[in-house]
Amino acid sequence: MRAGTTLGLDTLERWMQAVVMHADGAEAGLRSRPARRLVAAAARDPSAVVLPSKQLGSLERIEIYAHMYYARLVEVMEAEYPTVRQLLGPRAFADACRRYVAKHPSRARLLNGLSASFPDFLARTLPRSHRHGLAVDIARIERAMEDVFDAPAATPMTAAEFAAVGERTRLAVNPALVLLELRYPANAYMNALRRGVRPRIPRPRASRVIVFRRGFQVLRREQDAEQFRLLKALVAGKPLAAAVRASMGRSTGNADRVARRLRGWFEEWAGSHLFVKGDAPRLQ
Amino acid sequence: MRTQHFRHITSKWPAMDWFEIVSENFIDTGGRPMYFLDQVAERYPIAMHGVSLSVGSTDPVDFVFLDKLKALAKRVKARWLGDHVCWTGVAGLNGHDLYPVPYTEEGLRHMVSRVRIIQDYLEQPLVLENPSTYLTFAASSMPEEEFIARLAEEADCALLLDVNNVYVTCRNHDLDPVAYLEAIPVERVVQIHLAGHTDNGTHCIDTHDGRVVDAVWDLYARVMARAGGRATLLEWDADIPKFSVLQQEVRKAARFRSELREAAA
Repeated sequence: MRAGTTLGLDTLERWMQAVVMHADGAEAGLRSRPARRLVAAAARDPSAVVLPSKQLGSLERIEIYAHMYYARLVEVMEAEYPTVRQLLGPRAFADACRRYVAKHPSRARLLNGLSASFPDFLARTLPRSHRHGLAVDIARIERAMEDVFDAPAATPMTAAEFAAVGERTRLAVNPALVLLELRYPANAYMNALRRGVRPRIPRPRASRVIVFRRGFQVLRREQDAEQFRLLKALVAGKPLAAAVRASMGRSTGNADRVARRLRGWFEEWAGSHLFVKGDAPRLQ
Repeated sequence: MRTQHFRHITSKWPAMDWFEIVSENFIDTGGRPMYFLDQVAERYPIAMHGVSLSVGSTDPVDFVFLDKLKALAKRVKARWLGDHVCWTGVAGLNGHDLYPVPYTEEGLRHMVSRVRIIQDYLEQPLVLENPSTYLTFAASSMPEEEFIARLAEEADCALLLDVNNVYVTCRNHDLDPVAYLEAIPVERVVQIHLAGHTDNGTHCIDTHDGRVVDAVWDLYARVMARAGGRATLLEWDADIPKFSVLQQEVRKAARFRSELREAAA
């Protein structure tokens, strides 16, 4: 009798998962400690667990699943990070995705959170260079675009509601808004690519980017330092006047000029639907 | 229903009997997909077909996920709610693939129990689909078709018969697809799937990226002759063409059914 014929359901599932998810392929998976601990005999002879067909051997049949596991998840990430892929090149990008998936296998029913920590992974694992630093920042933007796409819907504030806002009002922020502080001018680089320009890899320059959804359109836009600081304070839940004081404290110029700037920012943000009615749910 | 066709569907309102969605594509998302789905669900019946229920897994049933499925089913007034005879992960992980269950008495008992729990919780029958499989466990003690027939009977659930999957599975396991189909209790089948696949010579992969091949149409005709017509869905999930191409394939399936009706009359 083959060793595999008496194996229980739980053992078979854990064994198959250990083999097909192994970072170095099914053959390495068969010899891995977790797989051997479950079914030692399969390390020498995989037909103990999986029968061959007329055309394929046992290992080849397991390899179909092992190949599909990484191929499918890399494909998902290719769709999520098109600019990072372009910057790193298809092979290096696929390799990074495989290493990421091996280190951070999915624990969720849905795929939309699979690559949530991919930007941090790239930051930890890519070599130090301006190209790679830029790739990390672009990954943060592209990840934010995914999060914003899926964020809960909320109703934007009307002009009349804005007019009624007082000094102590805490504005409800659109759940489809992400604020990013970056080391490189990543948004400008992405815009240049979109225009068909092949820009040079830029030197580090701090940039602040908001990624948001207006209606069903996911948008991204650079903000200047003070504007970003104020928005960050509002997102943190500070009352309007306190947020303005905290963020504009170092601002110079007369009161009219400051008021004009503030009015311009709020008009831009209102037009972008960054503030919404009531207590909107927050993006996790 | 695929993202690429949202605008076409909601502007042309094509003459279709119903649409199917991949349930997971409309869970935990609050933007464009739900906006379009709500409109489509107003005008067409919706079938929810999932890929992550992992009915065959030995992990505990995920009731949080079931709550989400249930809420979506209520929102779109889902006509059917289903998934596959498979597992997708164990020990808290998810491979996002349809892994085969060993067709054993233990596997059957486990799945029957899980289907009953899930159906009770969802308060509607589950529609389970035969998967495309690429390996056979040495532990299996019965053919897949017998496992599925007994599962449907003992768990009292409905079946979605994917004719392309029958073809792919039988090619991969050197089995006779006609004998497979004859072992499936057609009275439990509420829905049929058709799709294209990739033939690699040594094995077939269920890629859903092309037209239905003639051999699968032949099997479909056999099923229709035996079942006397069933709601039929064309799946096309990769290299997705214009909606008009999908409609051609859907019309072809309808022609098969009407020819059979005429022959029977």
